[in-house]
Amino acid sequence: MLASDFMDTQFHVLHPQQTIAEAVAEFEKASASEKTKIFGMMVTDDDDQLVGMLSMYDILNFVQPKHVAIFGEMEDMDPAQIYRDRLNTIRSILVDDIMTTEVVTIQQDTHLMVIAEIMIKKHIRRLPVVEDQAVVGIVYVSEVFNQLMALFSSQKDV
Amino acid sequence: MPVVEKRSVFSGIPVSEAMRRQVISLPRSADLGQAIRLMIRQKASAVLLTDQGVPCGVVSKTDILGAFYAELPSETRLGDVMGSQPIACFPDDPVEDALEIMEAAGVHRLYITGANREEVIGTVAYAEIVGLLYRYCRACERGTTKKRMAISDIDPSARFTVKEVMTQNVWTCRDSDPLFTVIETLTAHNMGAVLIQDKAGASEGVISKTNLIIAYHHGVSPEAEARKVMSTPVHSVSDRALLSTAIQQMLTRDVQRLFVHRDSSDPHDISGVLALSDAARFRSGSCRACTAGRLLTR
Repeated sequence: MLASDFMDTQFHVLHPQQTIAEAVAEFEKASASEKTKIFGMMVTDDDDQLVGMLSMYDILNFVQPKHVAIFGEMEDMDPAQIYRDRLNTIRSILVDDIMTTEVVTIQQDTHLMVIAEIMIKKHIRRLPVVEDQAVVGIVYVSEVFNQLMALFSSQKDV
Repeated sequence: MPVVEKRSVFSGIPVSEAMRRQVISLPRSADLGQAIRLMIRQKASAVLLTDQGVPCGVVSKTDILGAFYAELPSETRLGDVMGSQPIACFPDDPVEDALEIMEAAGVHRLYITGANREEVIGTVAYAEIVGLLYRYCRACERGTTKKRMAISDIDPSARFTVKEVMTQNVWTCRDSDPLFTVIETLTAHNMGAVLIQDKAGASEGVISKTNLIIAYHHGVSPEAEARKVMSTPVHSVSDRALLSTAIQQMLTRDVQRLFVHRDSSDPHDISGVLALSDAARFRSGSCRACTAGRLLTR
């Protein structure tokens, strides 16, 4: 069972020069069209080559004030006001500025067990499938799980 | 003969209480583009450079601005723009000592090593130290952040206001000035941000080192006008505001400084700047009680 057997070939991508606000809109659009929550997207350049990944975690991490942990108590702070101020500062930030550039990729002939191993060991939820540096698909951890569960169900039937 | 020892909030507190365990580093062979992306993404002011895993230098925002000014390509190796050697301390060193080293060396952060001096286990910067001050002041029964104290009859003069701690030197540039001029102004006066004014002298925006580094990463020319990269509006705090309020604003906004306007005047009438390093120098997150109450006679 190889990546090509269960990878998703319908995927949404972001462009490095999009603003974070535009990226958030793309996340919402992709989630609506897929009827499922999309938490991360691939970033490709004009030649459709993979240049990075941007997840909601990356955006959250950027918006979150860096020194919150040291405050201890926070009951007198208004999170809405603080986040409004923080969101104002990201107006000039582009996808290229905060995307993850060290992306782990797989190929179409990567084995299911290898994929599961990478996802478990590196805590990765989605793996781009790349051929000749161009993105041809994406494998989500949920699909890896579905593949295993399908085997489990068929075994139960026997 | 009795010896009077003045103690501060930090007396007896080791650096390990304030240190940040995440160390932002890159090999010295990495390029400027990688360092800038890492600085923006991690909201870091400097990157530690390593040579085969051993710390060998620091690239700060100031060094990156130098590269922007010289119009170096983003492929330039970090080893070629590296500005200084990392200054280190131990996790059990007193915070007071760390502050003195930072002030004397004119640096904004120290790297923390354990017994193995080649292994950096954390960093400490003004933001972490002032954050710690703020936390202690919040926990203090006499602290100005306690709601019940805010309405009590505590002597208002016991509280530090922004006016007492700020510096009055505000450097400005015109919105039509090229970024070259802004970089020159920041570098000449060792400032982190400059106020941008229009032709009539009204405050329009702010350009910080972070704004300039983002502009560099976006391919903006250093000949571009200041108004193209300035952030608006100017967030300022009244000079009569409590120091604790200003510290909270700086820490939640991830900024190193706030511009200060005169109380009851136009918020754009800027009269000073309050930096995190100023607050650290006063050794208090809110009021004088700490300093006064910690005079020990031996």
